[in-house]
Amino acid sequence: MAHADNLYIAASVADAVAVLVDRAGAATPLAGATWVMRAPLRREPLAHSYVAISQIEALQRIDISEDEAVIGSCVTHARLAEALAGRGDLAALATAAAKSANPAVRQAATVGGNLCTADFAAADLVPALLCFDAAVELEGPGGVQRLPLQEFLSLRHALPVGSLLCRIVVPRSAARSAHARLPLRKAGDYPVAIASLSIEQDDKGIVTRAAVAVGSVEPVARRWPSLETALVGRPLNTAWIGVQAERLAEEFTGRDGVEAPGWYRVKVLPTLVRRAVEALSAQTA
Amino acid sequence: MPITLIVNGEERATQAAPMTPLLDVLREEFFLTGAKAVCREGFCGACTVHADGIARMSCLMPVGLAEGCAITTVEAIAADGVLSPLQQALEDHDVVQCGMCFPGMVMSLTKFLEQNAHPSRDEMKTALAGNICRCTGYERVIDAVLALTNAPQAAE
Repeated sequence: MAHADNLYIAASVADAVAVLVDRAGAATPLAGATWVMRAPLRREPLAHSYVAISQIEALQRIDISEDEAVIGSCVTHARLAEALAGRGDLAALATAAAKSANPAVRQAATVGGNLCTADFAAADLVPALLCFDAAVELEGPGGVQRLPLQEFLSLRHALPVGSLLCRIVVPRSAARSAHARLPLRKAGDYPVAIASLSIEQDDKGIVTRAAVAVGSVEPVARRWPSLETALVGRPLNTAWIGVQAERLAEEFTGRDGVEAPGWYRVKVLPTLVRRAVEALSAQTA
Repeated sequence: MPITLIVNGEERATQAAPMTPLLDVLREEFFLTGAKAVCREGFCGACTVHADGIARMSCLMPVGLAEGCAITTVEAIAADGVLSPLQQALEDHDVVQCGMCFPGMVMSLTKFLEQNAHPSRDEMKTALAGNICRCTGYERVIDAVLALTNAPQAAE
């Protein structure tokens, strides 16, 4: 159903893919629209046309089993936060969805939009999903393709015409997780830095697996392998982990932005790691 | 092709381009100026309306995505000219200052109180994270709403 040349409301994934292919790269998928509608403020032109996917029912599903959570790309932050509330292993993702932006934006902004907006360095869901080793599923003319999220982040600038991010697959485990963010106000604005953790421990409290992801510090969120290695094989000690984070923080090159200079983002990162560990400890208590 | 939406219970149509912000159609075409155009980037909340019962920033909503939606603006909150209990509480406590943020505050709080009739002070602050008051009148807003929600009839 087309409203006009520059906005097509897709009824299904196949419909959206067909129109994206037909418009040969001149059309862009549109979900919650919260980033696209601010293009004029960024002095960016709007795309020639958009294919709205937010009304496709299949992309609004959340299916949570014992093994994995499968999240449709058009699930909003608000719905995701509600669906994940109380699921300890996915706490980092639930927190990221519940704390990002502000209540009205969370009602519109989608998971898929957060992952596809390459210029949005402060996206909360990206580091949260990275620490779960999440994967994304794309549909396009060639069928369904599954990619690790980190790989998708490096490819998203130049996806083949007609590719549509449809689902995010989050493996579940015995891990516990936490998400710490630092906005300049208490809430409502972009975080200066983000740390997401997912930790598994044995019955003696020794860390057997650690995943740490950092967002908003650099242009693209990424894992922190050296800190993960340092955490494994030891008890979860907040002070010790904070010292390691300070020692290893120089591995990051902070991005300068209007809300904070790059050096500040790196400087606060160890504190956010400590806060995330404290949040994990609080879950245990 | 016109875009049809239900605004304050009335079917309305617009010929605006579908990527036009809903806010601009409400203000410039339908002359519903309660929603304010301030930041236009989803930070200030002055343009908050209800779309199918959900509080949304109308500056970030393309009108093309509002096709068929029920839109409620602040103009419809005082049914038949009678202030809602929330509006009355805000007036009774002399909370309104410059008025720029207030329509958005009312719309956010109206929806929030439907979901949480007895919020704590912290819950109210969290709910208002997307509504910026340039007069910094936050504490008085919260005082007024808590007076409303803590009133004996509010518990009934």
